Amino acid sequence: MIAETQTHINYYGSEPGGEVTAREGKRKPTPRAEEARELYFESKSSVSMEFPYWYTRRWEQLEGEIPIIRRAEALKAGFEHMTPVIYPGELLVMGKAAYLRGSFPLPWLSEAFFMATEDKLYKEAEEAGKLTADSFTTMGTGGGNVIKSTGKVISIAGKFGIRVEEMPVMLEVARKWKDRSVDDVGHKYEQLVPGYKEKEALMRSVICMFDSGYTLPQGREVMNYYYPLQFGIDGIIQNCEDGIADVAGYPDMDRLYFYKAVILMLKGIKQWINNHAEEAQFLATIEKDENQKTEYLEMAERLAWISSKPPRSFHDALQMIWIFHVAVLNEDAISGLSPGRVGQVLYPYWKRDMANGVLNREKSIELLECMRIKFTEIDCFASMGVVGGVLSGNTFNNLCLGGLLKDGTSAANELEMLILEAGISCDTPQPTLSMLFDEKLPEEFLLKGIECTKIGTGYPAWVNNQVAMEFLLENYAHEGMNLEEARSWAIGGCLETSPGSWMPLEIDNEIHWIPGGSAPATSVGVHFLSLPKLLEVTLFDGMDMRTNQRIFPSHGYSLDSYEEIWQAFKVYFSRACHVLTLTNNIQHDAWRKISPSIINSMLKPDCLAKGKDIGQMGCRYNTTFNIESCGTTTFVNSLGSLKKNVFTEKNYTLDEYRKAILANFGYKTAQETGSYSLIDQVPTSDYQKWKKIHSQSLDAPKFGNDNPFVDGILKEWEEWFCEMAHNYRSLYDQPMYACQISVSTHGPMGAVTLASPDGRLSGTTFSDGSVSAYPGTDRNGPYALFNSATCWNHARSQNSQLNIKIHPSVVKGREGSRKFLEIIRAYLRKGGFHVQFNIVDSRMLKQAQDDPGKYRSLLVRVAGFTQYWVELGKQIQDEVISRTEYEEV
Amino acid sequence: MNAACKDCKFYLPVDVFRGMCKMSKEKINPDDPFCAKAEQMKKCKFCSNYQSEKDFLGKCMGTNLAYPDMIAGKCADFQWYKQN
Repeated sequence: MIAETQTHINYYGSEPGGEVTAREGKRKPTPRAEEARELYFESKSSVSMEFPYWYTRRWEQLEGEIPIIRRAEALKAGFEHMTPVIYPGELLVMGKAAYLRGSFPLPWLSEAFFMATEDKLYKEAEEAGKLTADSFTTMGTGGGNVIKSTGKVISIAGKFGIRVEEMPVMLEVARKWKDRSVDDVGHKYEQLVPGYKEKEALMRSVICMFDSGYTLPQGREVMNYYYPLQFGIDGIIQNCEDGIADVAGYPDMDRLYFYKAVILMLKGIKQWINNHAEEAQFLATIEKDENQKTEYLEMAERLAWISSKPPRSFHDALQMIWIFHVAVLNEDAISGLSPGRVGQVLYPYWKRDMANGVLNREKSIELLECMRIKFTEIDCFASMGVVGGVLSGNTFNNLCLGGLLKDGTSAANELEMLILEAGISCDTPQPTLSMLFDEKLPEEFLLKGIECTKIGTGYPAWVNNQVAMEFLLENYAHEGMNLEEARSWAIGGCLETSPGSWMPLEIDNEIHWIPGGSAPATSVGVHFLSLPKLLEVTLFDGMDMRTNQRIFPSHGYSLDSYEEIWQAFKVYFSRACHVLTLTNNIQHDAWRKISPSIINSMLKPDCLAKGKDIGQMGCRYNTTFNIESCGTTTFVNSLGSLKKNVFTEKNYTLDEYRKAILANFGYKTAQETGSYSLIDQVPTSDYQKWKKIHSQSLDAPKFGNDNPFVDGILKEWEEWFCEMAHNYRSLYDQPMYACQISVSTHGPMGAVTLASPDGRLSGTTFSDGSVSAYPGTDRNGPYALFNSATCWNHARSQNSQLNIKIHPSVVKGREGSRKFLEIIRAYLRKGGFHVQFNIVDSRMLKQAQDDPGKYRSLLVRVAGFTQYWVELGKQIQDEVISRTEYEEV
Repeated sequence: MNAACKDCKFYLPVDVFRGMCKMSKEKINPDDPFCAKAEQMKKCKFCSNYQSEKDFLGKCMGTNLAYPDMIAGKCADFQWYKQN
């Protein structure tokens, strides 16, 4: 295409010569972890109906019961009846369902998307625009995805396999939730919002990607493991019984029901743990290998112990936090449930065991590698649009390292060094790692992080500790956030800054202040808004020209100046935020009434102390709803092109631009070519007609080159967006804030967007992240990109996101490591919030696309998460390949 | 009723396509026939409280929806079906 338009912009990036360069420093995991990972590689995403069956059965028996008690009883029944599964060699056990990559439908949240397409439920959801994003999402066709039905297995959403024996009961159970699920009840009431039809139009046009209230109502938050670690399950039950004695019969009776619900839940979890202890005992009886037999018996003893009491050792503690992590995951459809600063939470146990000779370095790494495998096994059952278009099959369990302690000194410790080591030796997508970069962190620790990043895992991502703290202090001060508390933060999900608290863990009569999440989901609300598509609709006066449907009434602006385009865009953007905020508030209200969080609430300060669940604002911090954008750089580049070509140089009229957009600048669409990046597009027979305007659009100034003309547009946008987001109020009557990560949505959102004024073609993927350059357009090197990206204050937003691709030769060796660290430092010192890297030769990615079978273990960084290449959809694969590859810095 | 590996108490499910024998650790197909060492696991279809109604669906104790292949290892009401 480049030759065709004869533009001097090199959209390919430069082509390195010679052999494809491998990544550096590949190490092998311990034999135990390697065996477990091989089993993972061989296994497919599988759905079980056990949990939803028992949940629904118990729910039906309790008609008329207090809702939160009914919910607790249903969850309890689900946990108690799950078949325990333990795989040979496991040191950490238990999972979401009775398969290695198991998950299950949660029809009490939403039931329509997994019905047959001819089913009435499915058709109703389609009509409401809930399934449009599904049809524009490409799922990965390799790895563990069950992409099509075969034999006795039926494929759901192109990812999950269910046995044919379980399919009829899945449909029967789903129908029982019709008009009773969060989705259906929320939908009934959201239609009462004035202008509701506009919301449906926004969903059908995929200007908005999905509703959060019934898709992923929890997640993008940080776990808090303090209560089970400190008190054990029996201790928490005792606390709740004491709570009941204090509140029964007094006003604010919801506290009574909450405590009772927690007790019920914990009894279900106890039984679930003990079922696994029994299974371990059983396996020991049939085991011939003495070592394995001993491990089963130790496992049985450990599980029996922690089903009641606080952990005694690092191994106990690691098993316990894993159990509670899974327990929360089974409470809702959840992505982005981050374990948080686990290396600091578990440090007191680890240090004691090391001092007592219970643990050594090798055993520690083996356990940490086993932890990586367990997190990697996590799947989330959701629609194709969600699991493919947003998550890319990942579930974003983010483990954070570094940052500061309560007293403001470096929080890095030896256990975190080993977590990095395990991340190098056992490179798996999860948990992804994030380095909370602070100038106080020791050089040795930072270089260990570099060692991990440069082997191509994509983790740790590098995140600015001070910028995050500034964001938290600005947005949570009215709820009591202070500097000390701000230091306890961590990333929830991909990249959502999440508030935390310091909790006093007492071990051997010594208090250790451990950090943990202290807020509910920090990324629910308006998700995601496609900025380029909204600009397109603005240019066409409220029409979606792809579907020829009206989205908004005419904006009434003549668009005869750049400022008029801005004003009209702001009007539409604000309209979208308004109606989507209100409808999402209703959905989340339905969620908290029908399907309240009990387990996660129990874990989060100060729900137990207040006797209130998350939905009743039991958490310490509740300002957690946001407005999430997608395609920022494509949008900014498009405005830059219009400003230059239409209004400054007057090369074209706006009408001429509209015609060029509709004609896709004389090219076939991405859907026609089957390729989603700009580099592989095919001209039509009349492309010559549009050649000049396309060339000048591509030549217009692009973000990422330290060019004030276009960077100024980004600055103006960010300052307006970060401020206007506060105008909207969440369900909890708190101001909302801006959130700027694309996850994978730039793929499907790009797929429904016509050509854009920056020269991008119809259906191709948007720029990723929020401050990444559009592929191939950042031609002045990373430092120019850093200047562009930091032209606005990142602390005004929950995040910003910058992806960079570097050729492995650039960071090779010790000198390369130091240079790499300096690059990162330079960006973060300028005020950048986040940067992450793909260290890869792009030719290897092309080879992997052509021959995926040879690249089962190849990892790439997408946008806040690392994923196996073969499990990514083609939209995202094409986008990652086309990203600019720096061969020198 | 033809019993398959997935009906055996030594069957360890890995995914919907295959599992593992808890005794031999060999990878097995869930639909493979019972071997000599196989023993039935508790499933609804082996329970006297289960009544089949149509393919892959039935009733538990005459009232609750149930399905034959559900593992009933943790069901308090499970009772082995006795053939006459």
